[in-house]
Amino acid sequence: MERRTFLNFTILSGAALALEGCGNPGTQLVRFIPEEDLVPGVAVLKPSVCAMCSAGCGIQVRVMEGEAEVVRNGQFGIVKMGLAKKLAGNPEHPVSRGKLCARGEAGLQVAYNPDRIQHPLKRSGQRGSGKFTQVSWDEAIEELLTHLRPLASAHESKSIAFLTRPQRGQRAVLIERFLSGFDGAAWVRFEFFDDGVLRKANQLSFGYEQLPTVDLGHSGYVTSFGADFLGTWNSPVAQSAGYGKMRQNRSGVRGKFVQVESRVSQTGANADEWVAAHPGTEGLLALGIAHVILKEKLAHAETAGAAGALIEGWREGLPASSPEAIAWKTGVPPETITRLAREMAARSPAVAIVGGAPLAQTNGLFTALAVNALNALLGSVGKPGGLEFTPEAPLPAAKAGRDNSGEGKSGSVRALAQQILSGQPRPVEALLLHEANPVFATPLGWRVKEALEKVPFIASFGSFLDETSRLADLILPDHSFLESWVDDVPESGTTQSVVSVAPPAMRPLYDTRSLPDVLLDLGHRLGGHISEVLPWKSYEEMLQATLAPLAHHDGSIKTKDGGEFWNKIQEQGGWWSAEATAAPKAKAAASHFNAMKYQEAEFAGSAGEYPFYFLPYASQLFYDGRHANLPWMQEIPEVLSTGMWGTWVEINPRAAATLQIEQGDLVEVASPHGKVRAPVLLSPGIAPDLIAIPVGQGHEEYGRYASGRGANPIKVLAPQVEPTTGALAWAGTRVSITKVGKGELILLSGGPTQWSQEKIAR
Amino acid sequence: MAHRWGMAIDLDRCTGCEACVAACHAENNIATVNADQAAKGRTMHWIHVERYWEGEFPNIRARFQPVLCQQCDAAPCEPVCPTYASYHNPEGLNAQVYNRCIGTRYCANACPYSVRYFNWFNPAWDKPLQLQLNPDVSVREVGVMEKCTFCNQRILAAEIKAKAENRELQDGEVKPACVQSCPPTAMVFGDLNDANSQVSRMAGSVRATILLEEVGTLPKVIYLERESSHGNE
Repeated sequence: MERRTFLNFTILSGAALALEGCGNPGTQLVRFIPEEDLVPGVAVLKPSVCAMCSAGCGIQVRVMEGEAEVVRNGQFGIVKMGLAKKLAGNPEHPVSRGKLCARGEAGLQVAYNPDRIQHPLKRSGQRGSGKFTQVSWDEAIEELLTHLRPLASAHESKSIAFLTRPQRGQRAVLIERFLSGFDGAAWVRFEFFDDGVLRKANQLSFGYEQLPTVDLGHSGYVTSFGADFLGTWNSPVAQSAGYGKMRQNRSGVRGKFVQVESRVSQTGANADEWVAAHPGTEGLLALGIAHVILKEKLAHAETAGAAGALIEGWREGLPASSPEAIAWKTGVPPETITRLAREMAARSPAVAIVGGAPLAQTNGLFTALAVNALNALLGSVGKPGGLEFTPEAPLPAAKAGRDNSGEGKSGSVRALAQQILSGQPRPVEALLLHEANPVFATPLGWRVKEALEKVPFIASFGSFLDETSRLADLILPDHSFLESWVDDVPESGTTQSVVSVAPPAMRPLYDTRSLPDVLLDLGHRLGGHISEVLPWKSYEEMLQATLAPLAHHDGSIKTKDGGEFWNKIQEQGGWWSAEATAAPKAKAAASHFNAMKYQEAEFAGSAGEYPFYFLPYASQLFYDGRHANLPWMQEIPEVLSTGMWGTWVEINPRAAATLQIEQGDLVEVASPHGKVRAPVLLSPGIAPDLIAIPVGQGHEEYGRYASGRGANPIKVLAPQVEPTTGALAWAGTRVSITKVGKGELILLSGGPTQWSQEKIAR
Repeated sequence: MAHRWGMAIDLDRCTGCEACVAACHAENNIATVNADQAAKGRTMHWIHVERYWEGEFPNIRARFQPVLCQQCDAAPCEPVCPTYASYHNPEGLNAQVYNRCIGTRYCANACPYSVRYFNWFNPAWDKPLQLQLNPDVSVREVGVMEKCTFCNQRILAAEIKAKAENRELQDGEVKPACVQSCPPTAMVFGDLNDANSQVSRMAGSVRATILLEEVGTLPKVIYLERESSHGNE
């Protein structure tokens, strides 16, 4: 072909292609009229509430004009609209105070995730096949109503269940009222790393069934028993801010920080002193410390009040828990225990924190009570530099509003599975599902997947297809939190009473509807009792009505005028009381509870056959697995391992050497209940008798970035529970490890180079 | 007097939480490259947190150090660039002019801190992830070197705003994304020419050190060493 003919040919075919593009309506997008006035290039900051974990940080969304492909009235097109571009902490918000963690920053990738469900779907293949067809909202609502209507009639013997993540604020009130229209409806709130054991312990010790707020910033001595409080536990942003102040904010005073655990966590890496205690003996160690304090008369036993009375032998000075007596069990030398006790008593205010793995044992409740008693003995409860409890908001809350544990004996996902499988006390005819993913995050022994498959009808409101929502018959997708009215009442992280609320930061991209609005709509159509207790037409209307009484309380908004108050609260992103001048005193604790004594944690699997303790730990980036579908979270190296885009099995180098296992070898980690395979990472920060795997990867179905990547350690777990609360004892399983292959890819970021190693070790 | 931007990072406050890394990705349109490319070392974390193990179990500890472009006054990356893509801007930043860059990668080889990143291919965002892109920051193309800018777009915006309001910039008014997010406030940004700025005061701390002082690069990122109060003292 000559050059000229070639050029002619390409020009012609190019033109033909271009013309074809014009003629084919499928390749053209309609341009919609903008729905809002925006100045190009000028950013607007809008308040919102972070939905990436349960901490409830107030955030600021940077919104700028952009062009987005959207769905309006069922049609695809392009529109100029305000788009969220960056999330940051809301400087005024009492929990976040202008700061935000890595997971929070990635909230943008939830809204803009390419795997979001864009419109209602109806199952078209077999259940679980992942085959769905698009339906309209009218069809979807009608379909849902045909299943709900018979169940909403009085004296119906079958009922429904609603499975969600923990919920707070008016959203919780709404769900509770909606379910009150169904006889025997179960509301199950599920989250894998649940703190139900600690809430229960705090209720018993101090009278507050909630997580504590730790005043780290004023503390002289912090001892954490397993709590990853700078990473994933409780209110990490607020706690990190306090930690920074504890270290370098007071002239001449630098608080000391001691971490007790058996694998160095992100939090533990920052400790001045890292104490390795055997898994399940943390409560015993707390008693040993208390023993020394009592014996040396550094504090009186009575100081601990009700919290002390819950521990057997407290008044007698814990005679069975001398440092010498507990040293061999805990693995902590007696002189260390004695020294820690003396330091704590001397460096007031001293505070102890407990959370995470120590409470995920069969003796977890005792461990929490023991640390609570130690705190009370140190005089740290309700004092600056100690433990405080966020005051309740002056609003009617959901009856079970504070108890978002979802792990109580009734209302737990395990109880739900049993109810479905047995049909007792009444069969579950329909299941409503929102974001919770128990098929991914429960031990196989709970038979959750098998149970859900038996439910005649499942409707999911979540934005993504995951292992649980894949079982749905009908999907009515929610907005992302940036597109929704959001409200929250933080449980901890502040000593002020806080009610966060904010309008949508941006308009919805797709044909989605927010869960509260759908529930209100369903309530109206069902009529009767539900429409009486939920009279509002929209969630916005409900929020305005239910939050109005706040105008009559002293706080961050001075006006008493209803309309002005409503404008102000949206502008600020919430209402909060003035900073507390005096911390609330401990309430009278429950007295009917018998004093407890230490019992050894029970581990599933014999030590002979399964020589290692097993720790599935909360991932710094994926938390419990919910963020594994966000590419930023996949590619940011986890700080201790520097691992990206995968799963690894952490083992102590000495233990690995005796097993002739090397870095990168593919191993199988097995318990009596399940097994997983992943490459080995030699980690110096883990006890030689412990194997750890981060939770979060190993999704069978969770979008393009997470599906089929890595391994899920939850599938190894035995269905062990803490007996009083029924909470999963996720740290109570033993495992074996076997090499099954060589040269597996393990992805670590560049890692420290030699020069910097020398530099830092000076 | 011209500004001389610098950063102080208090390693006694840093917790290794990675918030700075995520914030930087969001602010600066940093592309993720996927697992295969990451395995080849092609990720582009303008800031990353290094971790150093010390000791052996059970006397083990880890230390963290966020490492970003050190914005050197005597920057080895600048004189090696044949196209003047790496240059020293009037406020002391090691700037990178993307459309001058021809991808020789000399600068990355010269940088003793390994904080310059090469675009091995055009960045791609699965739709609609491109909507997260910050319009204030240009997206880099294949063959171009990129690096931390101290969030120059934020510096410029603050300077323009202050000028329009006919006033001086206040200390702490400019916050790069990493500094803004940092939950324990380990990172502080400001003008090293202002003796009263917080960053200047931190730079005068007895704990202040710079990375690889012996190379003579004169960095403008100052690390405050972590203090230790070991248990046995």
